[in-house]
Amino acid sequence: MRYNFKGKSSIQGSSLTRWFFVGPAMLVVICLLIYPLCSTVFYSFTDKTMIRSSYNFTGFENYQRILTDSGFWSSFVNSLIWTVFGVLGQIIIGFIGALCLNRIKSPVMRNVFRITAIIPWAFPSIATAMVWKWLLNGIYGFVPVSLQNLGLSEGLVQFFSDPDLVLPSLIFINIWYGFPLIMVNVYAALQTIPQDQYEAAQIDGASALQSFIHITVPHIRTVVGLLVVLRTVWIFNNFDLIYMITGGGPAGASSTMPIYIYDTGWTGRMVGRASTASVLLLLFLVILCVLYFKVINHWEKEDVK
Amino acid sequence: MKKLASAVLLLLMSISLVFAGGSAETSQAADGELSGTITFWHSFTQGKRMEAIQAAAEEFMAMHPGVTINIETMAWGDFNTKWNAGLTTGDLPDMSTAQNTGEVAEMLNVGVLHPVDSVIDAIGRDRFSANALGDMTVGGVVYGIPYYSHAQVMWYREDLLAAAGLEVPQTWDEFYDAAVALTKDGVYGAAVSLSPNDLLGTRYLNYYVRSAGGSLLNDDLTANLTSTEAIEGIKFWVKVYENCSPAETINYTVNDHATLYYQGITAFDFNSGFMIDGVRNNRPDLLPEVSCAMLPRMNEDDPLYSAEATHIPLVIWENSEHPEICEAFIEYLYEESNYIDFLSAVPVGMLPAISGISETEAYRSNEIVQQFAEEEAVIAQAVDMGRAIGFEHGPSAQAGLLANQGIIEEMFQDIIMNGTPVEEAAAAAEAELNEIFATMVQ
Repeated sequence: MRYNFKGKSSIQGSSLTRWFFVGPAMLVVICLLIYPLCSTVFYSFTDKTMIRSSYNFTGFENYQRILTDSGFWSSFVNSLIWTVFGVLGQIIIGFIGALCLNRIKSPVMRNVFRITAIIPWAFPSIATAMVWKWLLNGIYGFVPVSLQNLGLSEGLVQFFSDPDLVLPSLIFINIWYGFPLIMVNVYAALQTIPQDQYEAAQIDGASALQSFIHITVPHIRTVVGLLVVLRTVWIFNNFDLIYMITGGGPAGASSTMPIYIYDTGWTGRMVGRASTASVLLLLFLVILCVLYFKVINHWEKEDVK
Repeated sequence: MKKLASAVLLLLMSISLVFAGGSAETSQAADGELSGTITFWHSFTQGKRMEAIQAAAEEFMAMHPGVTINIETMAWGDFNTKWNAGLTTGDLPDMSTAQNTGEVAEMLNVGVLHPVDSVIDAIGRDRFSANALGDMTVGGVVYGIPYYSHAQVMWYREDLLAAAGLEVPQTWDEFYDAAVALTKDGVYGAAVSLSPNDLLGTRYLNYYVRSAGGSLLNDDLTANLTSTEAIEGIKFWVKVYENCSPAETINYTVNDHATLYYQGITAFDFNSGFMIDGVRNNRPDLLPEVSCAMLPRMNEDDPLYSAEATHIPLVIWENSEHPEICEAFIEYLYEESNYIDFLSAVPVGMLPAISGISETEAYRSNEIVQQFAEEEAVIAQAVDMGRAIGFEHGPSAQAGLLANQGIIEEMFQDIIMNGTPVEEAAAAAEAELNEIFATMVQ
């Protein structure tokens, strides 16, 4: 191996060159991530509103108010339900879809199935929201009217105005919207599993379930783990779907943390309080991600062994 | 060194030339010809209205080659959010529409508007309604120009009333009884829409309270949701929701809400003359059956009243570098042919905000204006008699905040969904509004 030794000035030049290349990326991170983050934390300790130009430092008053606000806690609980069931549903349906896709022998049919199944993911969320709003509309929606005409419900089922049904309905739409992403990624991971392992297991007399548990799962669990992390953060922070369909109503029954923050900051114009809720949301997600990554790292270490 | 100094000098001279050129380009030329670029925000997202404004802007630019008008349109519901955000980011227009006179009061609260008296004088001060100008006047200075007007009236279906043997309701009790009677066979008597992202709950409550002689604001501009009139009004609309309205409308905003009447799903509605255009576009077969009357009263012998008249204003922003272009363009928009072109985009929906227009042949020749002449007269009467929500105490930021915070709508939802007692929910909403007033009003 040959080493190329250089003088001091050359090393300095190289160092400057490195900064030159890294600089723009750092600038972007500072402008788009660090600055907004720091300003949000700063404003969370003030009484800043969107209308008044001046504001005062109020210490932990916003935190005290937010943490004693029943609306915050109900939105937080709704967020947990929305995220847990949304992620679980997307993973389960996406996983089953990927396994089905993997079993299709004909490449043509496999592509047809894959393209068909990805359609929900390709829809813009505004289109998804409008279509489901129309389908589940409690006055003339196709689904409630059909259920009534078939004698399966007494009146029109109120998917969006019944507080007991609104969140499950939204979770269902979210699962429908998001499962194709999981399916495609898990399918890609399934393609990487060497077939000879299955053949060896078959020769050793392993059942299909045993092959699945001992071969399939270990190979794809890291991919699934990363998908769970990503989907958790995305779904927890999802705003557009809920806002466009119910706006968080009725009476906050479908209000999640992003809706709560929007209502506080934009409708209520309380920038300070909205910042406080954002900081609390960020803290929660950071803790969650740390836990997730610990588990994934553990799996990766096991894989190396 | 000499070369370097020369290069720096050349660079500085070039820069100064560029800035000198830029300055000449963006100021009014010596011959008085207008020159510069302005940004105009408006929320006329419907095709015909947008086209009318765009056409007027293009003609104006053709007449003044040095002028560029950049038009940015945004949804009605997004407008308030957009300019509120602009206060922080500095992204504000030179001129814009406003949602109503209440919003102008909010803008004045933060001191972002440019006086428009000179434009009003140029168009003719006596041609405007004194009420409309008064709603946007502070300290004797006017800050908004009414572009068009409309008012809230009660819309009904003549065929449904006739089939049920009912007369047009004159009182709230008659309205409720008729709405209950007409709630059958897939038709609902009236929709009560209560999304906190819109102001319909506030609007409906205001009708009732105003008809009883009350107000949603006290004289000291604090919120008043716990008066006898307000409590009775809340109970009344909850009763209408429970017995005559589709349950789904608890989350409806104004567009979803109005569509129910356009499509013949509701028998009554409360709105302006925009209903005609909506019905024409959705169910033209129902057009001969729709009509309107003044809002119901508490008692039949009470005098007629108007609870809400809206004058959609044009405003010039204080930050504008070219108020003279904005003023000239606004005057151009009010020129008779331009103005009638714009109004005819939604005939009867947008009534002229200046006198001398509705009598012209060009205005009256419109087919819809002729067909709905009686309805236009009813709405015009309501415009003359009415003011914006909360403006019975004069223009105030509190009146604007009362309607656009969604707190009254949340109160209704809380009562209906959670069974919270009316008095308790009203007191909580009142306290919340008063806290916002104290925080926001400067």
